[in-house]
Amino acid sequence: MDMSWDSWGMLACLCTVLWHLPAVPALNRTGDPGPGPSIQKTYDLTRYLEHQLRSLAGTYLNYLGPPFNEPDFNPPRLGADTLPRATVNLEVWRSLNDKLRLTQNYEAYSHLLCYLRGLNRQAATAELRHSLAHFCTSLQGLLGSIAGVMATLGYPLPQPLPGTEPTWTPGPAHSDFLQKMDDFWLLKELQTWLWRSAKDFNRLKKKMQPPAAAVTLHLEAHGF
Amino acid sequence: MALFAVFQTTFLLTLLSLRTHQSEVLAEHLPLTPEALKVSVNSAQQCLHLQWTVHNLPYNQEFKMIFQIQISRTETSNVIWMGNYSTTMKRNETVHWSWESELPLECAAHFVRIRSVVDDARFPEWNFWSSWSSWQEVNVQDSTGQDTLFVFPKDKLVEEGSNITICYISGNIQNDISCYLEGEQIHGEQLDPHVSTFKLENVPFIRKGGTNIYCEEKQRKAISNGTVLFVSKVLEEPKDFSCETRDFKTLICTWDPGANTALDWSKQPSQSYTLFESYSGKKKHCEEKNRCNWQITQDSQEIYNFTLITENYLRKRSVNLLFNLTHRVHPMSPFSVQFENISATSAVMTWKVHSLGDYFTLLCQVELHGEGKMIQHNVSVKANGKYLLNELEPNTEYVAQVHCADDNHFWKWSEWSGRDFTTPEAAPSEAPDVWRTMKSGSHNVTLFWKPLSKFHANGKILFYNVAVENLDKPSRLEHRSIPAPANSTELTLDGCSYQIRVTASNSAGASPAAVIVVSAAPGNKEIEEEIIEGTEDGFSMSWKPQSGDVMGYVVEWCDRPQDPLCDFQWKKLGPNTTSTVISSDAFRPGVQYNFRIYELSTKRIAHLLERKTGYTRELAPSDNPHVVTNNLTSHSFTLSWKNYSTKSQPAFIRGYHVYLKSKEEQCQPGAEKAVLPDDTVCCQYKIDNPEQKTFTVENLKPESFYEFLVTPHTSFSEGPSGTFTKVRTPDEYPYMLVHVIVPVVICVVLLVCGCLLKSQWMKDKCYPDIPDPYKSSVLSLIKSKENPHRTIMSISDCIPDAIEVVNKQEGSKIQSLGTRKSLTEPELTKLSYLYLLPTEKNYSGPGPCICFENYTYNQAASDCASCGHAPVSPEAPPSQWGLLTSSENLLKALEKNYMNSLGEIPAGETTLNYVSQLASPMSGDKDSLSTNALVPPPCSEYKMQMAVPLCLASPPPTENSDLSSITLLGPSEHYR
Repeated sequence: MDMSWDSWGMLACLCTVLWHLPAVPALNRTGDPGPGPSIQKTYDLTRYLEHQLRSLAGTYLNYLGPPFNEPDFNPPRLGADTLPRATVNLEVWRSLNDKLRLTQNYEAYSHLLCYLRGLNRQAATAELRHSLAHFCTSLQGLLGSIAGVMATLGYPLPQPLPGTEPTWTPGPAHSDFLQKMDDFWLLKELQTWLWRSAKDFNRLKKKMQPPAAAVTLHLEAHGF
Repeated sequence: MALFAVFQTTFLLTLLSLRTHQSEVLAEHLPLTPEALKVSVNSAQQCLHLQWTVHNLPYNQEFKMIFQIQISRTETSNVIWMGNYSTTMKRNETVHWSWESELPLECAAHFVRIRSVVDDARFPEWNFWSSWSSWQEVNVQDSTGQDTLFVFPKDKLVEEGSNITICYISGNIQNDISCYLEGEQIHGEQLDPHVSTFKLENVPFIRKGGTNIYCEEKQRKAISNGTVLFVSKVLEEPKDFSCETRDFKTLICTWDPGANTALDWSKQPSQSYTLFESYSGKKKHCEEKNRCNWQITQDSQEIYNFTLITENYLRKRSVNLLFNLTHRVHPMSPFSVQFENISATSAVMTWKVHSLGDYFTLLCQVELHGEGKMIQHNVSVKANGKYLLNELEPNTEYVAQVHCADDNHFWKWSEWSGRDFTTPEAAPSEAPDVWRTMKSGSHNVTLFWKPLSKFHANGKILFYNVAVENLDKPSRLEHRSIPAPANSTELTLDGCSYQIRVTASNSAGASPAAVIVVSAAPGNKEIEEEIIEGTEDGFSMSWKPQSGDVMGYVVEWCDRPQDPLCDFQWKKLGPNTTSTVISSDAFRPGVQYNFRIYELSTKRIAHLLERKTGYTRELAPSDNPHVVTNNLTSHSFTLSWKNYSTKSQPAFIRGYHVYLKSKEEQCQPGAEKAVLPDDTVCCQYKIDNPEQKTFTVENLKPESFYEFLVTPHTSFSEGPSGTFTKVRTPDEYPYMLVHVIVPVVICVVLLVCGCLLKSQWMKDKCYPDIPDPYKSSVLSLIKSKENPHRTIMSISDCIPDAIEVVNKQEGSKIQSLGTRKSLTEPELTKLSYLYLLPTEKNYSGPGPCICFENYTYNQAASDCASCGHAPVSPEAPPSQWGLLTSSENLLKALEKNYMNSLGEIPAGETTLNYVSQLASPMSGDKDSLSTNALVPPPCSEYKMQMAVPLCLASPPPTENSDLSSITLLGPSEHYR
């Protein structure tokens, strides 16, 4: 008798769940998709850029020649201090709110893109120029994508302070060797930022996903 | 006089000392020491720029002066360079001078001082060195107290192959420092505790992005700093500099620029090129690296003197070119090339040229390409060109092209302008090459012709016309048209002579006729074939010249003699030719080619002259004949290989070798010992006649094994060493036996026949008749004395009551063979008895019985002394058996009996045994048997089969009872 009652209860629960299914926002395809898809798109773009950068960096570092193309090359960060740093304390990173997280990403790529365009001016070979230009376009796309996510979430875009626009005009004391080191650091920092961004957007993605399990539990509570 | 001399000397000495004193006074009062010395540095150039002045120069006029300059490094006492600089200067004028340092100026402090001397003949009194100016220190880089490592020069631009010195300044860094050039460590020398220098010689160009030189602290293994050395390729002088005009409006100057010296990182752009014309003084920067256009002005300048200047940051080079414009005319290519009046052998070509003015004449060259040939003609042209192309071939595609050059001052040909055209067809110019084959014994003639060469065909041959004319009797010409590309036709003629004319036709007409006469009498007499030796290049053959009028000779052969179509070929030769070489790409080694040489009479009738045959190269025979052994006797056998064709072999077969292997060590006469490739020794018989295809091996031993191999041999080799065939000579004795036994058999037969004829006599002598008891005298005696009713029993009177059928099955046989124990089991007892019972149903008493079982020759069976057996059902219980087998002897006897019978009689057979009871000896156990009531009484000895009464104790067989049982016959009554 108990068993029979339990079966009927389960069936009723199932029917209720099915009845309420269209009302669940996460499953309602006709409604506003929210920031989820654009975050996913941004995440995918970072992964794509990561792959693209791997190829570009190989070509560019070979163009610079030894020691820049050596696998264990780790120069001091002499002139690259102006580059936005991707590395951050884990606790700090965890404690970042969405707005700050997105803002940091946006600002970093804005700066990096500017520096990268300077790189493009120096490269002599047509093939390298083409690769750099292609990557710059992709990076511009990533910036746009981050801006889109921010707009969806209602965060304003960071405005560059006057006079803080990064420029690629090394001073007279800046030797070509140090410039090559800066280029190396630019590519390295860019790669680290892409890794970090992948983690950032993955975190955001998870955070923005509707809690489907909670909905189910809620419905169960209604059913019984 | 002496006094005067002393005075004079004194005066001179005084004067000299006065002069010296005056100079010293001038030097003191007019110090010409350079002043206001300023030193500036150009780090990139590694130059020290010095400027100074001399204030104390007297008069406001130019003085020729020499300045001596000293340059010290690190400290003033370390003078590294000293030199003079001569110049003219006025008072207070600033003098400039530069010095290029080998070492980057940042690497060490430099000190400079100058002194001067007036080197002017007008002022010899000032010709003495001034005092040195004070040391002027130049210190570009002050790295003392810094923790940073510096590498100099920074981003230096040098030319490939130059020598350069670099240095690093370690400042306060205490660690050891290693420096590398593109990953390779470089070693230098220490200038001071903080500065090391490295001299790089003959630096190579590695990449446009520069050569990286970097230093790292050994302990930290981290790169501290570095520099990029931009090595430029050496700027080359432009090669093949040349200018020309095509239209008197523009001069086009071209050159080979050589290597591009551009470097990345904005270090050096590509070298620039500038054209400078000295007469007009005009200059033009060239946009392209290898050409430049110069506009010709209307001022009718004829002579041009161009200088092409190329330069980069490191070097400047130039080449010069002086020319007359009218000598550098490169006409533009002709246009409107047309063909007019194209016939089979000629065409008119016309073209136009771009006019260069009334005074210019062009030399045009017409080139005609066709049929793999090229013909050139030169034509002088003002404006329109025209040329008649003749001696063309009909039906041929030609390409005609023209180019022109200045006729007055040849400079360059213009580009070609051309077109193609095809001449129309013309009638074939030559008769086809015709030959024939005639089948012997018939009037069928096959005509062959070779396709006309393109040269003679003059177009596409559409068909061949064959006209046959009977020469022996007037008749109509028979025409036949055979469409191309057929190359033969068959004609059936009668026994007359015929003239055959063959022509080839294309769309323009027919060729001349080829005439051949087929004679009524072929006259192909039997001519012996001559063997000729061919080579890879063909067959060289000759024949005897024929007397009389000969039109020529024809050699015919087949390129593929093995094929049914044979690819018939012929070669026609002139009347004076008596030898030729026949070659063909189709000739293959190991193939026999047959040649026939015909003579062509003036009447165009062919007569066979000679026959030749040969191989281009004879090959070793690949097969041995298939040999059949005949006439095998004990002393000889004959080998035969009549199916072996000598004609189809890859070489002329000269004979055969017969190899014979035997155990005999000596070879028979006519044979030689031969050693085979496998080192076995055998006897070799040689047959030199290739047509002899049998061979008898004789003088062999009977009952012996022989092995033989027949292989053909050519002039240079023999057939393959195949497997030997074994032959065994038969025994002699069967023959002997036949000779002995046959007469003996005949004798025996005759003897038997004789015996048969005399049978009665023999019977009487050997086996006389048994006397008939009825007719016996004894019978009459008994009759009279004892019982008048007693009669002699006739066998025919005996009524049979049982027939013993022995049925033995396979299973029982096998089992009985396997184990004797099974014999006691009833189901294995398969003896079947068919009882022939009395006709009376109620008959129960003892009656006569016939027992077909014979134990006569069985000792055990005879122990029972009875031929009676009681049939026992297999289902009979053991108790019954107990009754039946109370006597062990009997049982054993039975066992033995069954064993014997089972063993002797084939399984599954049912046998009727009829055995005559000639002898049945009584055993000694007779008494014991008699104690058993069921055991029948022993039978008496009878010589003949007797009727016996039915056994008393035998149970009647039931319907279901198995007949395979032990039968115990009842006691029989024996009658005598």
